[in-house]
Amino acid sequence: MADLPVGGVIDVPLAQTGEGIAECELLKWFVQEGEEVEEFQPLCEVQSDKATIEITSRYKGKVSKVLHVPGNIVKVGEALLRMVIDENASILPSVEAAQDLVAQDSKINELDIADSVLKKEKIRGVLSTPAVRNFAKQLGVTIEDVLGTGHDGRILREDILNYAARKGILKASSEILIEDSSAKNFLGDQTSPNVSSAYVWEFEDRSLPLRGFHRAMAKSMTLAAKIPHFQYVEEVNCDALLDLRASFQNEMSDLGIKFTFLPLLVKSLSMALSKYPLLNSCFNEESQEVLLKGSHNIGIAMATAHGLVVPNIKKVQSLSIVEITKELSRLQELALSNKLSSDDVSGGTITISNIGSIGGKFGSPLVNVPEVSIIALGRIQKIPLFDEDGNLCPASIMMINISSDHRVLDGATVARFCNEWKRFIEKPELLMLQMR
Amino acid sequence: MAVSRTRNIGLPLISLLRLNGMPILEQLHLEERLLRSTSENWCLINNGTTDPTIVMGVSGKPVELLDTESVLRDEISVIRRYTGGGTVIVDHATIFVTFICNKDAISGLQSYPQPIMCWSSLLYKEVFQGIGDFTLRENDYVLGNRKFGGNAQSITKNRWVHHTSFLWDYEISRMGYLKLPKRAPQYRQARDHLEFICRMKDYIARSDFIDRTISAVGSHFQLRYSEPKAIQWPRGTKFEPSSRLLRKEELDEAICKSSAVSALLSL
Repeated sequence: MADLPVGGVIDVPLAQTGEGIAECELLKWFVQEGEEVEEFQPLCEVQSDKATIEITSRYKGKVSKVLHVPGNIVKVGEALLRMVIDENASILPSVEAAQDLVAQDSKINELDIADSVLKKEKIRGVLSTPAVRNFAKQLGVTIEDVLGTGHDGRILREDILNYAARKGILKASSEILIEDSSAKNFLGDQTSPNVSSAYVWEFEDRSLPLRGFHRAMAKSMTLAAKIPHFQYVEEVNCDALLDLRASFQNEMSDLGIKFTFLPLLVKSLSMALSKYPLLNSCFNEESQEVLLKGSHNIGIAMATAHGLVVPNIKKVQSLSIVEITKELSRLQELALSNKLSSDDVSGGTITISNIGSIGGKFGSPLVNVPEVSIIALGRIQKIPLFDEDGNLCPASIMMINISSDHRVLDGATVARFCNEWKRFIEKPELLMLQMR
Repeated sequence: MAVSRTRNIGLPLISLLRLNGMPILEQLHLEERLLRSTSENWCLINNGTTDPTIVMGVSGKPVELLDTESVLRDEISVIRRYTGGGTVIVDHATIFVTFICNKDAISGLQSYPQPIMCWSSLLYKEVFQGIGDFTLRENDYVLGNRKFGGNAQSITKNRWVHHTSFLWDYEISRMGYLKLPKRAPQYRQARDHLEFICRMKDYIARSDFIDRTISAVGSHFQLRYSEPKAIQWPRGTKFEPSSRLLRKEELDEAICKSSAVSALLSL
């Protein structure tokens, strides 16, 4: 590509779209003559064989002349428009290189399918990834001077290191190397080398792009933040729950299952939801409709090494406590090994977050869209309480916070629901009256 | 269908919309709105559409691509869609699969037609594993050397859409509305249309294909099931779809123009 004449007029050509075809049809313009244009701003839309493609500007400048009208067939390499380039405009090598690369890729055969999908950049005859190019820049190495030892002569990180060591650049830049490699390890980059280094203080910021569960969490929490939440906090006496769990553990030890509180809480939650189905619903903003869900698919928020994930136990109303315990255990194992299926994590109708298992008195969670309610359980704490006769006695108290969508639920409904659930937790024998 | 397999860290999230018999114009409007008005990744699967409809690419010219007289006589709807590519006739026996993704959704994938096509073929290879000899041939999906799926794309500044209409089954008489296009792929080798295409139902059950596609999507993305009613459209944005039904006058006009040209040439 030609050098950039600062302040001058250049022809902006139609670049190769990667299909090996020689021309495209111009469909429409997004800009007009005299208009100021930013880098990456869409200029026009063209149609190649199979695709309509938005062509974006590589430069910041002003459109001086549009050279084609919609309907024209424009040959690849032919100028689409003329632009006056800003003084401060700079060409972006990645964009240009990507287009050059795409021209190469148009000749791939089926065996090279996987290869063509890999992100490579070719600048002036040099093959390397953007990460390696940045690394070379950090070390002050001219990448074109480096001999590549990778596939097809690709320049690898090790090649940069070896070159820098030979040229004596490496010693002076050891601090940068250390930070760079540690940052790459953090981001899971597979190409970080095993560089031994002296201990240095690290004051530099590190960028952490969001991936996987973390990225999904960011997206769903952004949605949840738009919902008007209200919090309802209650204390629940868990003495009976603790006794029941101990009894299960003693009497049912031959089942080989570890009994925890959660299945009991889940089952009693389902019983309370049967009486207050509005908490087991989802809200459609567009149609202003509340959909009362038929199944109690109770989600359990789990913190794993890969991030926050919420699998749910389906149709709790039809499951026994033993079945819930087994299903919970199955989901926990899958979550820890990052093997949950899409079915496991979709279709939830209400969520429990047992944040107390890590710590904290109570939480203020955000609703798991499109559900309308989420329950945070605090840690069970032994505190002194006055009994009916005015005597001090210990009690195991758990704080719960029910966070709800105020467009669907009001305080009174949530309070009544919570009272019902609390009754089942504090007097679990009442569950027997309702169980089918 | 539950999928249980090892997942890599960093799989992008995608929302799956499973539709049944949604009219194709409505589907195209929904797709384009999702492409231009949202920033999520989407996969649409529409199991058949209602009435038989001809769908042309964005700059398709009826007189070149269709037997306009029989199309008008039989009152077949003709749509010009928002993506490029060729002409298809679709009906209840067509299965549509669409991907709408952010430019950086798939690690390492550049948003150009060829890489996107290649990526999609990797996905469908999984679907047809052990079923048939599936390959990508010059932008078509083929089993053996017969086409069963046509593709089109639209690539914007930050997102792209890749959609396919799969020939689950077709009626021979309906194929007669389409003319031989000016530019045909080399592998067609001057074959008649019916010698060039094949029916997917000869290879795989309809529900199996959909289930296997969902499973394959689940191995490239983290799936989240959604439905059109649950989509949260951004407020304050007005959306005008580009895909539209051609009016009779436009098809008639095409006939008139081409007859006028023939008349002129014969003078």
